Formats: sequence, C-alpha cells, structure tokens
Amino acid sequence: MEFSEKITNRIGGETLTSCYQCGTCVSSCPIARITSEFNPREVIKLAQLGVREEVITGDAIWLCTSCYNCNERCPQKVEIAEVIYAMRNMAFEASNKPAIYAEFASAFKEQGRVVPVSQFVEKKRADYGLPPLQPTGVEALQKILAALSFGKTSSKEGEDK
Amino acid sequence: MKSYALFLGCTIPARQPSYELSARKSLSRLDIELVDLPNMTCCAPPPVESINLEANLSAAAYNISLAEEADLDLVTLCAGCFQSLAKANAILKQEEHLKKRINKNLSHAGKEFKGNKEVKHYLQVLKDDIGLKKIRASVNRPLSNLKVAAFYGCHVLRPSGFLRFDDPERPRILDDLIESLHARSVPYRNKLKCCGGLMRGISDDIALELARDKLVNTSKAGVDCITTLCPFCFVALDIGQIQLRSKRQETYDMSILHYSELLALAMGVKPEEMALDTHKIKVDKVIEKLE
Amino acid sequence: MEEARVGVFLSDGGGYLSTILDLNAIKSYVEKLSNVVQVEMRSDFSWGEDLQIIIDAVKSGKINRVVATHNLLSLGDVKIVQAIEKAGLNPYLVTVLNLKDYCAWPHQDKPDEATEKAKAILLAAVERSKLLEPIKRLEFPTLKSVLIIGAGIAGIQAAMSLSELGYEVHLIEREPFIGGLAARAGRFFPTDDCALCIQSPCSDVKTITDTSRKCVYRSGFSEIPNLNILTNSRVLSVQGVPGKYTVGIEKRPRYIDEDKCIRCNLCTEICPVEVPDEYNVNLKTRKAVYINIPYSYPPVYVIDEDACKFHECEKCVDVCPTNAIFLDQKPEKISLNVGSIIVATGFEIYDSAAIKEYHYDDYPDVITNLELARMIDAFGPTEGAIIKPSNKQPAKKIVFIQCVGSRDQRHKKYCSSICCMISLKHAIQIKEAFRNMDITICYIDIRTTGREHEEYYERARALGIKFVKGRPTEVTHDPESNKLTVDVEDALLRRLLQLQADLVVLAPAMVAARGSEELASMLGLELDDDGFFKEYNAKLRPTETKMKGIFICGGATFPKDAPTSSIQAHSAALKASKFLSEGKIVKDQVTAVIDEEYCGDCEFCPVTCPFGAITLEPITEGHFVAKVSDLLCEGCGICVGTCPLHAIELRHYRSDQMRAEMQALLSLNEKSKPLIFVFACKECGGTADDAVAMAMKQYGSNMRVMKVPCTGIVRVEQILEAFKMGAQRVVISGCKSDGCHYETGVQIVEKRVELARQILKEMGIEPGRLLLFKSVFIEGLGILKVAKGAIKWLEKIGPLQLAEDA
Repeated sequence: MEFSEKITNRIGGETLTSCYQCGTCVSSCPIARITSEFNPREVIKLAQLGVREEVITGDAIWLCTSCYNCNERCPQKVEIAEVIYAMRNMAFEASNKPAIYAEFASAFKEQGRVVPVSQFVEKKRADYGLPPLQPTGVEALQKILAALSFGKTSSKEGEDK
Repeated sequence: MKSYALFLGCTIPARQPSYELSARKSLSRLDIELVDLPNMTCCAPPPVESINLEANLSAAAYNISLAEEADLDLVTLCAGCFQSLAKANAILKQEEHLKKRINKNLSHAGKEFKGNKEVKHYLQVLKDDIGLKKIRASVNRPLSNLKVAAFYGCHVLRPSGFLRFDDPERPRILDDLIESLHARSVPYRNKLKCCGGLMRGISDDIALELARDKLVNTSKAGVDCITTLCPFCFVALDIGQIQLRSKRQETYDMSILHYSELLALAMGVKPEEMALDTHKIKVDKVIEKLE
Repeated sequence: MEEARVGVFLSDGGGYLSTILDLNAIKSYVEKLSNVVQVEMRSDFSWGEDLQIIIDAVKSGKINRVVATHNLLSLGDVKIVQAIEKAGLNPYLVTVLNLKDYCAWPHQDKPDEATEKAKAILLAAVERSKLLEPIKRLEFPTLKSVLIIGAGIAGIQAAMSLSELGYEVHLIEREPFIGGLAARAGRFFPTDDCALCIQSPCSDVKTITDTSRKCVYRSGFSEIPNLNILTNSRVLSVQGVPGKYTVGIEKRPRYIDEDKCIRCNLCTEICPVEVPDEYNVNLKTRKAVYINIPYSYPPVYVIDEDACKFHECEKCVDVCPTNAIFLDQKPEKISLNVGSIIVATGFEIYDSAAIKEYHYDDYPDVITNLELARMIDAFGPTEGAIIKPSNKQPAKKIVFIQCVGSRDQRHKKYCSSICCMISLKHAIQIKEAFRNMDITICYIDIRTTGREHEEYYERARALGIKFVKGRPTEVTHDPESNKLTVDVEDALLRRLLQLQADLVVLAPAMVAARGSEELASMLGLELDDDGFFKEYNAKLRPTETKMKGIFICGGATFPKDAPTSSIQAHSAALKASKFLSEGKIVKDQVTAVIDEEYCGDCEFCPVTCPFGAITLEPITEGHFVAKVSDLLCEGCGICVGTCPLHAIELRHYRSDQMRAEMQALLSLNEKSKPLIFVFACKECGGTADDAVAMAMKQYGSNMRVMKVPCTGIVRVEQILEAFKMGAQRVVISGCKSDGCHYETGVQIVEKRVELARQILKEMGIEPGRLLLFKSVFIEGLGILKVAKGAIKWLEKIGPLQLAEDA
C-alpha cells in the first residue's frame, strides 16, 4: 500500500490528499515562524509523495504545538494537525519517538493520568478547602487500552484498519 | 440550580489548585452545582493523541459516558480537556462508523458512549447558563481600574467546526466576561497567537520564544495582567517569566490570572482563600485594584 | 379506424443477408401472419426502385402500414420514412428495422438462432403495427419577440443580434443604467480596450444598420427601432407557454422625465443628500439624484428613492431648467407578450468580508479588484490615481491576494476562472502608469488559459511585478504606520514573508447574481450546486435550458471573460431566433394523454413531470383532473409509469402496443434459451445495443430488446408480465443516474425496480433475475457482460417456476 494511503486509512489522516500546497498553514503556524525546521506544508507534501523515512523518522512532526491554526485557515479543509497526529501515531508504532512520549504513554497506561498527582499534592487539597480527589478509573481505562494494543510498537509502522 | 459533572483533568489538580478553588467558589455563588464523578481518567490530550488517536477518542468517550450515566453535562476548566472531550463528542456524534468502533473498545470496560450530553468549558457555562448581566450583578468589588489582556489560547477556539465555542477569528466571550467585572479588555498585538505551552519539554527555546511574544506585546499595551482560561497557557506565561528572567535576563512582572480567579476576587472572595501564593508571579497589583 | 393492412419489405443487401439469415424462411413466415397483405424482398428498400415499390403500394392504397428493414445503422429510417410520408402515409405508421446490425451480425455464429430471432422481431413489428395510430403534427404559434433579462455585455449583444434579425426585443435591466459589471471593469482583456462603452451606446450615422465594429459605443444600438430598453425594471411574473409568454414587469420610477432631461447636472449639484456610491464601490459618495458617469445610458438622471427626501426638500425640482423632475411619479406595471426569454443576469463578486482573516470589512486599505478597477479607470472616482482609501494618499506598495473565496471548501469550491487575468491586467496597467510602484501578487496557481492570455503573465514578469506562490494567512494593520502586513509563505522559497503594503487587493470569488433563485423558480429553470443557471447540456446545448424557449448566456451560467460572454450571447440569440423564426413550433403529438375518467386526483404526475407539462385543472369543488400540455410534453412517459391508476398513456407507446411487441419478441424461442428481455430507453440504454452492433460483437440471440422513450415509462406490471411471457431474466437498460436524458427517469425507475424485486421475492422468484443496467454509449459494451454472465447464472438456477394460477 502507498504510504499516503496508509495515512488516509488511519483515524485523523483522512484529509491528507486534499492538500494543494497553498502554504496557508505555514504562514498560520507559530512554530514555522520561529524555526524553519518545521514546515507543515512540506510534511504533507512529503507524505503525499510517499517519502516515508523523512516523515516517520524525522523530528519535524514532533514540533507541532497543536494550536490548530492551520486547520482553521486551510482552504481545502485539510485537518493538518490531525494528519500530523496520525503520522506521530505511525512513528510511535515504528519506535521513533521523543523520550518524553514514552513517559506519557506509561503514565497514562499505569495511572490513568498523563500528569500524575502526587500524594503530597492530594493531601494538600484539604488545606485549601478542596474536596478530596475521586479515584481514577485506571482499571476501566486499562481494559479499553488493552483492546487497542496501546503503546505497542513494532518493526514496521502499523496499519490502522 | 443547574448541575454539571466537573471534569478536572490532570494538570489542575496536580499544579493549579487556585484555578479549581476559584472556579468552585465562583460557580457555587452563581447557583451552579458541580458534581465530582468517580472513575474519571485523563482526557487524553495531545500527548496521548500523538501516541494513538483511537486511544484519545476512546478515553474521551469513556469519560463522557460516565457523565451520560449520571445524566449530567460535563464542564471543564482546562482548555485542553475541553478540546479533547468536546471534539470527541462532536466527531462521534457525527460519524456513525467511528462511534461503533469506539464503543467496541468501551465495551471491554462495560461502558457505552451514547452522544446525548454536552461538553462545555467553564466560560460557556458563565455566558450561556448565567449570562453577562447576572455576572455583572454578582460583582461586589468592581475592577474598574484594571486593564486586562484577554488571552484565549488555542484549544477553546479551534477546531471551530467541532468546538463551536466562539467565532475563531473574532472571539468575544472572554472580553465580554472581563468587561462584566467592570475591568477593561485591552487590545494587543498577536492576541490569538499560541502561547507555546505544549512545546515545553519538547523544545524549551521555541516555547519561551512564543511566551515572550505574548509578554512583550501585552506589556506594550500597558495591561496590568493577562487573563487565561487554560492551565497550560498559565504555566507558559507564569513560570515562563521565571525562565525568561534566568535565561534571557528579561523581566516582565506581568501577573497571570485565570478568569475564574478574577471573577472570584470581584465577587468578594478573600484573596487569602484562593491559594494565590501558588502563582510564581505575584498578583498584588491586581488585588490592589479591587474596589 | 380501418383495418390494418401491413406491407413488409425485407432488404437483403444484394443477397448478403442471406448468407447469415434464412431469408426465404423468414419471408414465408411473415407471409402467413394475419393482416400482412404484401411481403417483398429486394436489395435495399431505402432508395431507388426498391423504395418506389413501397411508395407505389402506399399510393395504391394496398397497404396502410409499413414494416421495412434496411441495413444502415439508424440512418435508413429517415430516408424511408420521409419518402413514405410524401406518398401520403402518416409517418408514425411506418416501422423501420435493421436486421443486419441487430440480428444477423451479432448472432452470425448461430444462424439458426439468428433466423428465429429475426422472425420474432418481424412478428413484433407486425403485431405492433396493427395497433398503431396516425400521429398528428401540431403547430403552436409563436410570437416574434424576445425578452432579454439583464443589460450587461451579454444581454446587450444578444439584444443587438436579435433586433438586427428583425425580432421585437425587450431588454430589461433592474439597475437604473445599463452596462452591468463589465462596464465598470475599466479595460477588458485580452483586447485591452475600454469597458465603459458597454454602458454608452452612441452613433452619428444616419441610419442604424450593422454599425458595431469593435465597440458598443459607436453601435447606436439603443436607437434600433424594434429594441425596447427598460431600465429600473424587474420581472415580477412569467406566465404562458413557450412561444407565448406573458411577462409582468414593474418599472420603478426615475422621477425624472426621460424626454425633458438635458443632463445639465444642476440637480446633482444642489442635492443635499450624500450617500455611498455603489457604482464606485463606495470609494466616493454620490447624491440622491445622480447619473453614474456622464454617458450612462439611458441619458437621464435618476433619483434614489431610498435616499431622497422628496417633498421635504424639492431643491432639485426648483433648479431644473426644463421642469423634468416629477417627484410623484408612480411605478409602472407593464405586461409584455414574448415568444422567448433569454437570461443574461451575469455574476457578482463574493462578499470578501466573509474571509475574516483578510479584514476586508475593517481595514479601509484592503480592497477588491473591482474597487481597484474603479481607481484605475481614468473616468473613475480617483481619475486614475491609486490611493489608500484610509487617507487618500498615493499608494506605493500593492499586494494582491488571489483566490479569496475561490477554490475554498469553506466558501466557493470552484475556480472563478477570470481573477488571475484581472489581477494581472490591473498590475500591468498600474505598473505601466507608475513605474516605481511595488507590486506583488500572492497566488496558489496562475491560470491564464485563454487565447493571448499567457502574454499577460509574461508582460507582468517583464515589468518587474513580483510573484509569491503562497496563500496568505492573514492581513494585519499597524495603526501607527497605517501600513498593512501580509503574512505569507513563499512555498517555492520555503520562506515566511511579511509583505508590507499600502494597499492590499483581494481577488474575490465570482458568484451568481442576487435574485437568481427567484428568477430560476419563476422560469422553471435549474440552478447548479453553485447557484448558477444550468444549461441543458454543456457539450451540445450550452445556451439552452431544460425549458423550451428559454435560453441563458454570459456570466449567469458561470464566471467568464468578455469574449466568451460574447460568444454565448450570440449563441443564445441564434437559438432564440431558430426557435421563433417560423412563427410556429411544429411538433408531432407523441405526447401523454390522460383519461379523465380514471384520473384519481392524486397529484403525483404534475410533480414527477420533469418539464412541468402537467397541470391540475379544477372540475368540481376541491377536485382536480390532470391535463397534459402537448407543447411542453417531451414524450418520455415518466408520468405513465408513475400514475397509480394507469390513467395515462403515451401516444405511440401505449400499453397495448408495448404488450403486443413484448409478447411477440418473447414468443419464438425454441432455439434461443434462456430468454432475456430488455427494456431499453432510446437514449443511452439503446446506445448499448447500438454500440454492440457497431463493434460487431457476438452475443446470444436469447436477448430480445424493446425500445421505449425513457425507462421511466416501465411499470412494475410490465416487468412481471415479461416474466410471465417467458423471460427468464428482465433487464432495464437506461442512462446513468446523473445523465438521464429526461432528467429523472432512470432514478424513478430504480425505485420501481426495487419494488419489483421485493414482489418477485414474495412470489418465490429470485430477485436477481431483474437487473437495472445504467450506461452511456461509450460504455455500451458492458451489456455484453450482462448477457454472457446472465446465461451462466440462469442455467445454474434453472428455469423460472411460476405458480399455477400466476
């Protein structure tokens, strides 16, 4: 299957092929303004052309700050931020990820929270007059995540369907 | 008395008790009941979306299903939680095949997403359920001398097709709410630009650059404080100032407050009871302007 | 009606056909059929001596029905029928068949079967012939007058053509002055000539003949005696039928006597009321009494009734030297009788305020190409100076933004086709006049597709106009410097640019003119998904519509440049002229007829008729009966298939005629099994048959085809009857869903096929035996797959088991 088709078959990647390279996303992007390392139009183009390696193993896709400005302004309604998430998903499955994401993954899976709440902080709630924290539904979440094989990586990037 | 299930998320209980406090206090004075449901989890924000989008939709749907079971709409304080949950809510209500797929995942935990409840951000509850008039009427300590920079952040406004929070190009809700406290919402350059909060930990340089843009432009506009509605924006601008001081020797002394904190103060809640000491940049300037 | 005496004439192509078909056997078979009084076999009955045999037989009175075969695919019909008509027989009593292409060739490897099928085909023709009736030729009078709605460049040209051809032409315009959008454009491309002439016809010739050489200005067209120009007027109602429309028009008052006004301008000078000048896109103001430009046509000032203070003021009345101002003038109601209508309502520009990020509504220095055109126009509000509207200072840096609202899923999905050329034209005009002007054009693609268009792009680059391939995200304004900034990525450079500008010019999308929906519904016309008037067929009938007698041209159908509008205007004029030139519409009465006894007043048929040919007429209190207009009826038969009480028949395709044909086609089948019966429409469905014949492909002779005008005529009972008569499979072969030549027929029959399938299932018959096959001519070979595949499957499931009492 073509790389671009792999993306369009995934949740989030459906609108990849609508892009006609107008560049509105780039001028909307707060990150592109600061560093030329991240250019959303270029990432989309590489994906359309099937240049898998650069997209999946490169750093560019991890620089998106998810501000959704590009989605909002795109005249072809390409969901660029979602497509980048889809690409990150594929990168993750191929074991290409910044270290911090591995931490997020395990915190989420084990504690049901991406940012854990320490016991100290929990205790302090009473001092502030805040009601105690409800228990986290970690068990339910784990069952759901198991059905997705969440966080599993493999040697080739997974296909969604 | 309208009731909502309160969705706290992770960051607020972990790091910003002041946001939670001010929200609870202000809403209770406005006759809104907040119900704390058990067994909620993280809303699956960008870090989880980056790992697996289906997990994000499933976790969001799971949390919404708990509110559905309790027959309550959800309200969030964090813009990130709002985007994650409201987006999932809208998508799954629209796309039947996705809803089926996600419900299959949820069935492993014995839950089902029905799509019969709404997800709102705290500001929407203020504007739609209470209304600007009542907010204005609830003010005991007007902030008439206060000049505020309203900062919306990204995740309540976009993607506007799913969130329908306000006009993404010309939002008014926060500005209107600020003005109902008798304060003035002052225009400034690049008002709708991202604060860079999510870049913290990935590229601190980029994050600081974006935070700096905000601080420079709001300072130029001569405001007393920046009002946020997202814990990440808060951290980026509050702790960000500490980092800018040490890394770039720049000082802004810009107080950062959540809207709920401004509201609570204007209602007359005592500053000592609001955990304001958790702010890295002091907010004395603002308190002094309370009438 | 006298008894049918059928003559059958078989062309054997000099003996060629006999090499495949056993023509002698066929001839003897036909001779034995009842009502057949003459059977001849010659080489080719479509001409010469052989044709004369038929003519003589007709003239002598020996035969009163003709079944003739010939060997030319679908062309021999015409020659034979025309000759027989001349000989005195109603042409609808003549049936022409082609045994070579439809029988001999496709089945030549099984000559026995081919012969059997030929017999069946001839039997069907004879049986049907016996039931045929003569069809009347009707005439409907038409008026030699045309209404043209819209006096822009297209409307004016159509009006000129038609009035010069001698028609009475009424050219109606809702604005107080003619010219439309084109007149404000400054100059046209690629001719680089003046647009304002469109609104100012003048002439100094003594007689008005074909004077217009290269411009409308010297054409004097407004003085053509049979051309009536109505400005400040709108169409309120359209009634009647093609050829004889009655149009109700309201002419709003000008409040100024058209004969007395001498255009001295005193009224405008004294008028105290100032309002934004829409003609100049609000770049300046005008007075309540005004004229657009000195040579606007009609050459009479007009009072803006929304702005004027009327009797509270009266200053203009006092000052007018010829007492031309009459403040109490009332609107006039005019009724026009016309034979044909041409819609030339043009297009407008999209409201750029919708693209909020460009701030068209809040930054005065963000303008559109139309405002820029007004500035560039030497006769415009700034007399050619390019200025910032915010402070009236000269602009030094201009940035154009293309595709504002076009090619945009959030606004208009289509490319508006002329905006690249307009911006290039403007950029070149400005740069040639002001050498130091700094101009940049931000684009997604540059589209210069027409003749002599690419030269504009070359010239622009040669002049040093800059191009940035990138769509800007936002325009921002700095209040201190009063300058605009355009944030854009140059995708080719892969670099973010912040372009400074005094003036930002937007190239907005072009959209259908306001009021198009109402006008379309008044006229019974369709609009496409983008709101433009839809032509009947883009390939062959680009200026005709689904409604006879109503034509469209110019920007009303889609944004286009002046030359193309011109072509369409003349095309529409020609079509209207063709429609009206004989003074009558001649039409054969192959139309639907409703049996009023049976009409159940259910109101289905008027709704399903795609041509609005059926109306409900009241008979008693609250009861109606449906009536068909012979003029509007297109003879598709959709109403026939729809009527739940079988109260409607289509002449020449009556149920008894169709039944006789079907039964005959399915009768001779000893050799060819299993029988597949095909209802094929005469349009695309039938072309499948033709395509296969022309390609000389082989298929089984068990396929028996009956042609109907449109598959919409087929009723569920007919399908079931086909099965009863021996068909093992029934195929309905029609046009594709979005291409039905009668608009909706195939979509309607699709629902009936579903219903029929359910009934078959209830009866214990495999629903798959019924198939709907949709194709176009070029895909016609697909029917072969249907034929071949069917045989295997039918053999597998075995013959149809019908209940004893079915």
